Amino acid sequence: MTHTTTGTHLASGKTRPLGAPARLAKWLASERVFRLIPFVLVEGLFIVTILIPFALTIWISMLKWRANRPFETAVFSGLDNYAGVLENEQFWFSVGRTFYFAGVAVALELLIGFFLAMMVTNCTRSKKLYTTIFLVPMMIVPIVVGYNFSMIYIDSGPLNQLLSPFLERFGIDPRIRWLSHPVAAQWAIIIADVWQWTSLTFLIFLSGFAALPRQLINAARVMGASPMQIFFRVQLPLLKPAIAIAVVIRSMEALKMFDPVVLLTFGGPGTSTQTVAYFLWEQVWQFNKFSFGAAASILLLFLFSFLIFAGIFTIIRQRNAIAGGR
Amino acid sequence: MAVASTLTPEQAKARRSRREGRRRILRHVALLAWTGFIVFPIYWMVMTSFKDSGEWVTWPPNWLPREPTLLNYSQIFAFSQLDASQARQATEQSFTIWKGLGDSVLVCTTASLVSLLLGTFLAYSISRFNVGGKYFRHTILTIRMIPPIVIAISILMYYAIIIPYVTSALIGIRISLFDTYIGLILIYTVTTLPFVIWMMLTFIDEVPYTLEHAARMMGASRMTVIWKIVLPLVASGMVVTFLFVFILNWAEFLLALTLTHPDVTTLTVLLNKFQSASEGRLYGPQAAIGTMITIPVVILGMLIQGHLVKGFSFGTIRK
Repeated sequence: MTHTTTGTHLASGKTRPLGAPARLAKWLASERVFRLIPFVLVEGLFIVTILIPFALTIWISMLKWRANRPFETAVFSGLDNYAGVLENEQFWFSVGRTFYFAGVAVALELLIGFFLAMMVTNCTRSKKLYTTIFLVPMMIVPIVVGYNFSMIYIDSGPLNQLLSPFLERFGIDPRIRWLSHPVAAQWAIIIADVWQWTSLTFLIFLSGFAALPRQLINAARVMGASPMQIFFRVQLPLLKPAIAIAVVIRSMEALKMFDPVVLLTFGGPGTSTQTVAYFLWEQVWQFNKFSFGAAASILLLFLFSFLIFAGIFTIIRQRNAIAGGR
Repeated sequence: MAVASTLTPEQAKARRSRREGRRRILRHVALLAWTGFIVFPIYWMVMTSFKDSGEWVTWPPNWLPREPTLLNYSQIFAFSQLDASQARQATEQSFTIWKGLGDSVLVCTTASLVSLLLGTFLAYSISRFNVGGKYFRHTILTIRMIPPIVIAISILMYYAIIIPYVTSALIGIRISLFDTYIGLILIYTVTTLPFVIWMMLTFIDEVPYTLEHAARMMGASRMTVIWKIVLPLVASGMVVTFLFVFILNWAEFLLALTLTHPDVTTLTVLLNKFQSASEGRLYGPQAAIGTMITIPVVILGMLIQGHLVKGFSFGTIRK
């Protein structure tokens, strides 16, 4: 134990054996070990907080158990919960709805973002101002966006006021409850998502346009290509990586949609705006159906894993394409 | 063509510039329309936050508060129980955002710092030694792409059931991470780590290896090299990454909603509480809280605007 202080004599004390802490420090500082320390730490964190809970979720998904009973009394039930989820049509409806919302919202975001970026690129003096304004929604907390839109859609809100001259001509009471109508409520959520995330697609396309090589476009123009030809034959193919990345990133996020649903509609009216995230939240946190929720989340992850891998693959490929192009 | 041939070059030029001018006006009309669409919801929230309870839902709605009041703000920033001048009949619940603000700041700062620390060192390892294999930097993205609700469900069972069960069996004390700061910080750290690693990788990859090599040749240890050479060079990158991750955590709602109740309350959960208030919705205080949540993030976001997209697009887009 007297040797524990020899760490300080590291340089001079050649003959004396090193103490345990000093040896440990030396071992940790050696290249072979040192490079692995952060890796081991992070992987350990992932195992403790993602992998173990996930394994437990699989176990719980095979129990017959609700949270209102003690955990010890749960009995094993095999794949019953999975069958229950697969037979539950609300689950499938909510999955379909999620894809519908994501599809419409992402398509709109891409289109609007693309045209905005194109227009802003052509601006000279006001470019910076527009960019700054258009980027603000991205920074706003999603839940605040949900709140903002819930204010706008209420029956005595500004939207109805703007529409009222038009509606009163037809004798319709302008105080429409937008969020009580299934289709209008769905669009309300889509519009809120478009409001917030068009800023991201806009920025992706803006940097895409900025990176286009001038010479190529000028060359095409000199050779007599029309603006349409330049756009479709030169610019669009060059923008393909940016488009692919925007599609992947936005659809990944849009499929997780939860915040605007809670803030705007609570999944209603009926179940017309329940996304899959909201459906699972309700099953687990409102109805305490833990093992059902566990089974459903495993299935959901399985369903999404193809998308996740496709997404990562696209990101790798397009990233290399961009890196290679420079 | 026949028309064009009769034009002098000056006329053709004038016509072209006229067409160009018309196109420019159209462009500005479209861009201004979108600007209006962007600004309007924010404007409405800020205006509502200055309205008194009678004006929240009047018909027709007022675009400017008729009698601007700071009552909503004084309610949410009140330190003690509301006195008679501030209490409203319909709103006798605790308003103050101090608890939410404190919890949000504590959880977000700690989680962002821990994940910045771990992520930076791992990014260094990946960048210099290819730790974890060639594709590790990509596979780490899977964590970010798992739907949060799936994480929330498994973490809920882990925190609320399994850990107390196991600890009471092993050491006789029930330890639950559900509704604790540590539990929330832990899960925030894990969910933001992929972002940190990605952003720090783009910064560290840019530090020339020759610099480090020279220092190593002169006998500096690996730790000295990191401390004296790499970290100073990526310091601004670390600040940007920290702010980005902080914004992400600040905006997080699903995990905070599902993994805490009632002790730990972040600001987003607090805002949602007013949404489902049984006495009717409290639009005014909600608007005030919304404004207060928004201001710091927008300011931080403006500071790191160019890097924001780097983070959101996993470094695929460079500005």
